[in-house]
Amino acid sequence: MSDKKNIFERIAEGQIWKSIFRGGGAPKSRRQRMMVVLNSVFLHLHPVRLPKHAVKLKFTWCMGGLSFFIFLILTISGILLMFYYRPTIEYAYTDIMDLTEQVPFGIMREIHRWGAHAMVIAVWLHMFRVFMTGSYKPPREFNWSVGVILLVLTLLLSFTGYLLPWDQLAIWAIAVGSNMAGATPFLGAEGPGSSLLAIGDINFITKASDARFGLIGGRFLGEATLLRFYVLHCIGLPFIIMIFMAVHFWRIRKDGGISTPV
Amino acid sequence: MPEDKKKTSTISPKTPPPAALNKVEKENEVNRRTFFSWLSLGWVAFVAATGGFFTMMLRFFFPNVLFEPVQTFRAGYPDDYTVGEVDLRWKEKYGVWMVRNDEGIYVLSTVCTHLGCTPNWQPSAKKFKCPCHGSGFRMTGIHFEGPAPRPLERFKISLADDGQIIVDKTQKYQQEKGQWNDPESFLKV
Amino acid sequence: MDAFKSLINYVSNPTILFTAVLVGFPFVFPPTNWFYKVHKKLGIDKLWTKKGLIIMVAITVAFFIFGLGDDNFKKIVLKPDNVPISGLIILLIFFTWLSLSQAYKNDKLIDEGKPVDEYYEAPNDKVLVWPDLVYVELISLILFSAFMLIWSIGLPAPLEEPANPSESPNPAKAPWYFLGLQEMLVYFDPWYAGVVLPTFIIIGLMAIPYIDTDPNGSGYYSYKNRMLSLSIYLFGWLVLWNVLIVIGTFLRGPNWGFFGPFEYWDSHRLEALTNVNLSEIIYIKWLNMGLPSNILLREAPGLLIMFLTFAVTPPLLARTALKSFYERLGSTRYTIFVVLMIFGVLLPVKMYLRWFFNLKYIISMPEFFFNF
Repeated sequence: MSDKKNIFERIAEGQIWKSIFRGGGAPKSRRQRMMVVLNSVFLHLHPVRLPKHAVKLKFTWCMGGLSFFIFLILTISGILLMFYYRPTIEYAYTDIMDLTEQVPFGIMREIHRWGAHAMVIAVWLHMFRVFMTGSYKPPREFNWSVGVILLVLTLLLSFTGYLLPWDQLAIWAIAVGSNMAGATPFLGAEGPGSSLLAIGDINFITKASDARFGLIGGRFLGEATLLRFYVLHCIGLPFIIMIFMAVHFWRIRKDGGISTPV
Repeated sequence: MPEDKKKTSTISPKTPPPAALNKVEKENEVNRRTFFSWLSLGWVAFVAATGGFFTMMLRFFFPNVLFEPVQTFRAGYPDDYTVGEVDLRWKEKYGVWMVRNDEGIYVLSTVCTHLGCTPNWQPSAKKFKCPCHGSGFRMTGIHFEGPAPRPLERFKISLADDGQIIVDKTQKYQQEKGQWNDPESFLKV
Repeated sequence: MDAFKSLINYVSNPTILFTAVLVGFPFVFPPTNWFYKVHKKLGIDKLWTKKGLIIMVAITVAFFIFGLGDDNFKKIVLKPDNVPISGLIILLIFFTWLSLSQAYKNDKLIDEGKPVDEYYEAPNDKVLVWPDLVYVELISLILFSAFMLIWSIGLPAPLEEPANPSESPNPAKAPWYFLGLQEMLVYFDPWYAGVVLPTFIIIGLMAIPYIDTDPNGSGYYSYKNRMLSLSIYLFGWLVLWNVLIVIGTFLRGPNWGFFGPFEYWDSHRLEALTNVNLSEIIYIKWLNMGLPSNILLREAPGLLIMFLTFAVTPPLLARTALKSFYERLGSTRYTIFVVLMIFGVLLPVKMYLRWFFNLKYIISMPEFFFNF
């Protein structure tokens, strides 16, 4: 009996398995366990060994990891939503209705929306934890600043997504938000100093050329706004946030991993 | 420059024969100078090209033609409007209130000057009240409470040949700039 | 019961609620040694024990359960978009407790000359990522996924009427995480509250590690040895951000008026409020003359106040109250720190000026869209 191998052992020793997972067999010895982390592109985000408080939930709250995980949930559910959603005034609202009513397992939108709320909260709590443990202190100053940018990008992603259902909640939140852009000093038509940027009677910063216009693609909220926010939400901002996330994760390792008492 | 000279002579990998030294060094120096001027020219060109590229990208977001609703419309006859009342009939379609008082008619924009919400006309209190941040405007459009920084805007109003009112929303009149005295901001009836 | 409700309604009035928070804050999160002593003497540090947590959570949950018996309260709290904020309140209490209970424990260990809880002896105390960390991560992900699924099935995402550009909903609210800013928009002009202030918040947050150069307390929870920076951060984060979000979500009703948690949201309730600018107070009310036609002369009082606040206060403080600060931080860091602090202090100051004097703007130049 004992020399007869069971199915799992046979798979684990086969060529296919071994070609995918280097190191051979289940990670039982200390060396094998270290190799698992070193050999995996995903796991080697982590170092091989950690201070013991780094695996304690009461120290880390797991909020950084959770933020990243929610980002992945949002990416996947967002891609699924894109299959049904058309960013035009005519269809946007009804497509959202269909998502709940006509599509099997119609909770994808719920997952996406509540996930967005959860991500904002997780990112906040992560920042809170990092502050409370003084982890922004040298040598991690720069990574804290990158983290603040990630927080801003998270809020912007959530904000651009807010418009897409094209309901009353959406357009009035964005109306208020985009009008703030119109009040940008110098660059907004209704901001202080904009009237100074003029030659004689010709104003360079008008309703058709200011920061608000660039954001919403017109003088009023409309088709162009929806398209701009859609592109920013689905492609533009995720692209930027992924770059900053890469820097953030890389710098955690380069700055010496999780912060520890000196 | 003396430092440069020193560098040239020490860094130069092939030491030329002593007789030719003087001549070569002179040539080298000229080469270095031209090199540096080409270098700075190169940098200027690079910065200009990058700047130009980003300007292009920025300009990309400001199209030349806008597909937006018509801004001029006919608003019926002056007698359609009751004296002392705010008329809401064009609010939905064109975003304006028509107000008639003892002297005439003026057209108020329904865009709150604070952040662009649409205030509600409250007949009992005789004021426009903005639901977003609580700004209040009197019937004239003058702001008196809440965060709105300036009065509501008025639009150009005139009479067509057939006696109908024409409202032109491309022309606006702001009280704080003294434009409400403009005869076109007001239709005497 | 009704008496209790009306008491709560009365107390949640921003003038009372915000003042109570403002006064109570330094005793709960003491910024200096003096406050710390009082804080200990009053026994407020017992909040960060297990008993304290149970009491805090019990009171909050009991309040919500009690409130759900009231129709008005129920309507606001159970609005789908508001549910995460009720959750946020509980989470904030829990995580503030979690960090501070560990911080106080470490403070005690430091006082006794022992190493802090997080101290480890490299490399003996290190653990392997596989399986120790991977296992924790996997469990968290599974639990969170299950939680997300339940949340998504149980609570439909909100979808209101189709967009109608001519009809603002009453009240019209920004996404909840921006309600702190929207609250500020009541007291400040959009260029400031909507553009400049957020920019300063972002810059200020990014500048924290470059201003707070004290190397103490890196990598472990602690309170006593970095009291001031923790107190300032907690004030900004808990009071100026999260309390304002809670106010904006639960207490702001139709026409952006204040409503107690058990109050009916009456859209016809009218508040007669006439706000006046500083120039009007000075020239018309005090000097009994008309407003000067020259803009600069008209706004001279406001401009003077702003000049005093930003150009005179920092050097004055550097010589007096914040002298040790100035010497420790150096002039650049000190200037950035004090200017950011002034911007922070201006928020509550302007709120009180509005509540008590109906003051609209300190500087009002609508001709140039410049109001402050």
